[in-house]
This record gives sequence, C-alpha cells and structure tokens, in this order.
Amino acid sequence: MPNRIIEAYVGEYASGKSENAVNRALFLASCGHAVTLVDLDLVEPCFCLRPLRETVEKAGVTLLAFATEDTFGLGEAGQTILPAARFALMRQGDIILDIGYGIEGSKILNLLVGAEEDPDLQVILVVNTGRPMTDTAEKIISYAQSLQRVDGILLNNHLAEETTEEFLLQGVKIGEKAAAALHVPIVGVSVAAEILPQCSKVKQLPYEIRPLQRVMPNAFW
Amino acid sequence: MKKPIEKETRAYMTGNEVVAWAALAAQADIMYGYPITPQNEIMHYWTRLAPQFEREFLQTEDEASAGFTTLGGVMAGRRSFTGTSGPGHMIMQEAMCMAEMMRLPLVSIIQQRGGPSTATVIYSQQESTLACYGGNGEGFRVVYSTCNHQELFDYTIKAFNTAWKHFFPVFVLGDGYQAKMREPVTLYDPEARGVQMIPTKPLLGLPGTPGVDRDPAQLRNTYNTEEELFAVVEDLRKAYEEIVPQVAEYQTYDCDDCEYLIIAHGVVTRTAQEAVKNLRAKGIKAGHFRPVTLRPLAADALLPIACRAKKILVAESALGQVKRMITDGIYGCTTPIETLYKPGEGIYTEEIEAKVLAMAKGE
Repeated sequence: MPNRIIEAYVGEYASGKSENAVNRALFLASCGHAVTLVDLDLVEPCFCLRPLRETVEKAGVTLLAFATEDTFGLGEAGQTILPAARFALMRQGDIILDIGYGIEGSKILNLLVGAEEDPDLQVILVVNTGRPMTDTAEKIISYAQSLQRVDGILLNNHLAEETTEEFLLQGVKIGEKAAAALHVPIVGVSVAAEILPQCSKVKQLPYEIRPLQRVMPNAFW
Repeated sequence: MKKPIEKETRAYMTGNEVVAWAALAAQADIMYGYPITPQNEIMHYWTRLAPQFEREFLQTEDEASAGFTTLGGVMAGRRSFTGTSGPGHMIMQEAMCMAEMMRLPLVSIIQQRGGPSTATVIYSQQESTLACYGGNGEGFRVVYSTCNHQELFDYTIKAFNTAWKHFFPVFVLGDGYQAKMREPVTLYDPEARGVQMIPTKPLLGLPGTPGVDRDPAQLRNTYNTEEELFAVVEDLRKAYEEIVPQVAEYQTYDCDDCEYLIIAHGVVTRTAQEAVKNLRAKGIKAGHFRPVTLRPLAADALLPIACRAKKILVAESALGQVKRMITDGIYGCTTPIETLYKPGEGIYTEEIEAKVLAMAKGE
C-alpha cells in the first residue's frame, strides 16, 4: 500500500488534536482519498468525535467511533476501546487517528495493532503556543520528550477569534526552535480559514499551511 | 514565592486549567483533592505546576478526607483549597459544615455535574442548594457563580481573599461546561493590578502558653447544651449578616425599564444576555438580573426590579434550586414567576426568547 497517509495526532489537553484530525480527514477526502478517521481518545472516551459523525460521513470519511447509543449504560465504568479502532491500521487508504491527551493518551498507540511496524505511521504533535503549558520552546521540548514518540510538529497556534498574524508568526518561531531541538520537522501550520486571507506573511512561510474550519465547537460533549 | 505569571498574557485555555493558574496566582500554598470528573484537570494542572512554584498537593483517599485535610491546611495557616464535583461535593459537606462552624477560610472550586447521584459527568446547575446550604449547615457561606473563564480566574483569586478576610467558607461554583470549554482569558498577577492577597495566619499552634500569654485558640464544633449551641449559631448568624452588604454581588442588563425580567446565574447568564438583546430588537422590554453570589443573594437589589416587572422568568439547569432562593429573597413581591428548567442540560438563547415571547403574548 504505497503513499498511504497514516497520521496519529497527539498533544496537550485542548491543543487542537481533534480539530486538526477532523480537518485533515475532511481535506484528504476532498482530494479524493479514501479516509478513515479513528477516535482513539480513551482519556475522554465517547465524547469527542461522536457528535461529528454526520459531518464527516457526508464528506465520504469512514468514522470509527462509538455511536451515542453504544455508550449508553457505560457511565464511567472503566475505559472502552472500539475493537475496529484497535485494528484500524489494517484498513485500506489513509488513516487519521485522534489520540487522547498527554502521556496516558499517547500510550494508546501500544494498543493499536501494527503501530510499531507500520512504515507510514507518523505521530504528529499538535502544539498551540497560545496555551500556557506550551508557550515556550523549552516547554514544548520537555512535553514532547514525555511522550513515547513524536515524528513531527503541527503548529496550531491560536487564541480562537482573537488570533492575529503577529501571534501566528511568534508561535512559528517558538515552534521552529522546539522542532530543531527535537530533530523533527514542522509538518504544517494550521490557520483558521477565516483569517488566512489576511495573513500574507504566514502564507510565505516554508511550511504547509493548513486552513482550518472550526468543527469542534459543534462537537462539544 | 516565585511568581507564576510575570506579565499579563492572553491565553487559550480550558476552565479547569484557568482555576489551577488562578490558584497559583493567588499564592495558594496547597491543594487537597480526590479525582472526580469534570474537575479533574484542576488537579492535573495543579500537580504539574505546583512543583515548579514551590507549592504542594495531597491526594487523599476520598473526598471526606480531602475536605478535612483542606481544613487542616487552613488551620496551619496555609492558603489551601480543594476542588470537586457532584457526588464528591456531597461527601465533602461534612468538612464544609465544619468550616461554617469553626469560621475556617476554606476555598472550594465546584464544577457541577449532572444529578441526582452519580448521573452525568457533564453539566448541570444542580449543586446550588448543596453549595449554598449543604449538610447540616445554616448557609454561612459565600458562593460565587461564574459564567466564563475570566470570571473563573478573577473569582478564584477573590475567593481566597473573601475567605481570609471574613473567615467563612467560600465556593466558586462553576460547571462541567465551564470546566471543559475553551476560550481566551487574560492571566495576570493580582498584585500587578493592585489586588493584595490577604496574609494568612495559623489558627492553631500559636506561640505562648494558652491562658497565660494569650487566649486559647479553641476551634469548636461540638457543644454540650442547646443554649450553648444556640448562642454560637446566633453569633455566626450576626457575623454572616454583617458581611452580606460587602460580599453580595449581582449584575443587571436593561433592568431599568424592563417588563419581562429574566433571572439566571452561571453560564445561563450568557444566553440570558443574548436573549435580552434579541428580545429588545423585537420590541420586547426584556431585562436580566444575574446573581453573581448565590449566597448571599443580593435580594435588596433584586426586589425593586422584580416588583416593577410585569412577569419574571427564572431559567436554570436544575429544577428550581435557585428559584427557591429567589422567591425567598423577594418575599412579598407579587409579580408572577414563570420558569424554564432544564436539569442537567444547557439552556439556549432561543429557548429563553421563545418563552418570554409566549409570556408577552399572555400564553
């Protein structure tokens, strides 16, 4: 299976993992790829991608996530993993994995069958320098080192509707410093689609710019 | 003590993180707690940050212990706090009542979840009665009901000062929505804004010999006779009533000429404020009264507004917990009251608007 895109999005709590994973899946589907989006968040199971099923399926993306009715009765009684999600790497086409936050979240890769051997799997760290836990290169480096694997950094710097181009550019500098120290590439810079037209300097950056449609506000629990 | 926030910063955070940073900024020394959703990230972030700023954390074996160890911290003169939710909040009531009785400056952050019992880990406004009047207490508490991240930050800081100034337990009453949602917030060092943190002091283990050099520092919650207890509770009542004018807080929106008064607290004030704007645009004279402190309730401010209105709507994500406090607070007011209750569910602007429009049509 050549040229498969297999990406696992990891990162700090509220760094934008789900937002970027969903956007990535929708983008790849719009390019004609067969895409499977997998909700592997066991830290907060059943809450994240579930409400977006209709949106992503309409776009042709296959979603592996619990349906609301599947979660009824589970309450907080332990953690559950959708069996299909565990074997997601055996599927054809592109696979985008939305992983739970932090060290515990990233350990889920241990449960993903074939993760260690898969030559195409990229573990992408989503970083927002607008968040106090990752607002300096030093903090990002130390956080990345606490995770078992990071293959690239996706900069998702923003302050919601208050994001400015200046803020984006400052964040890129911080991200570059961290990426250099970690010896991993910056795989992209996400920018809210509505402000991108006003960001001429960001567009000139030597990175893939990923316009972001905010879908997660509709997914809130 | 190393400053966690050197300069004012705009940041994008979840509500629980905001609380952890606010407690750091307020120079809190220690958090005691036991995990429960949706307040967990207060603990997560506190435990990650505390060691960097020479603060401490103790995870106890349950919420009863978390409540009492927080009181222990307070007695030792440490700026202490805890955070909990739902069933944990219930279990902690014994310590919270002890704080009322002993006048201990306990600070608790409550992120309300659905009830009764374990219910959901998500959202509700069903812990208002518990926060205000829980256990076998008499409500000698201050309860701030916040509506956004900035308020979570501001009122967490304020809670410590209210507690250490007045020596009553203080609650910041958030909810699962506020805990988990993300929005920009300004983080600041209170001292840089002219807010001095009130110095803490040990309440026990004082220097000198009790009865010789000083009065005994006797903190009691047990009494032998009815008369003795009655006198103590009367003293508590008087002390509490004295602070009411200083601590009661509220906000009004278009209340001067309002005919339809919407009363809502916490996050529901956000939809109520929107509803007022939309209703005014449709020619309906709507207004909104928001109690910021549920306890004490700013009843003196609310009464004339309530009496002037044609009709009142109380909207809350519970079955009338705050409405009961309102009707008690405005006793004697004859304005008809209608309700929009959604226990454990969010309330939308459109729902409030539709209800007020129906009220205006006399439906």
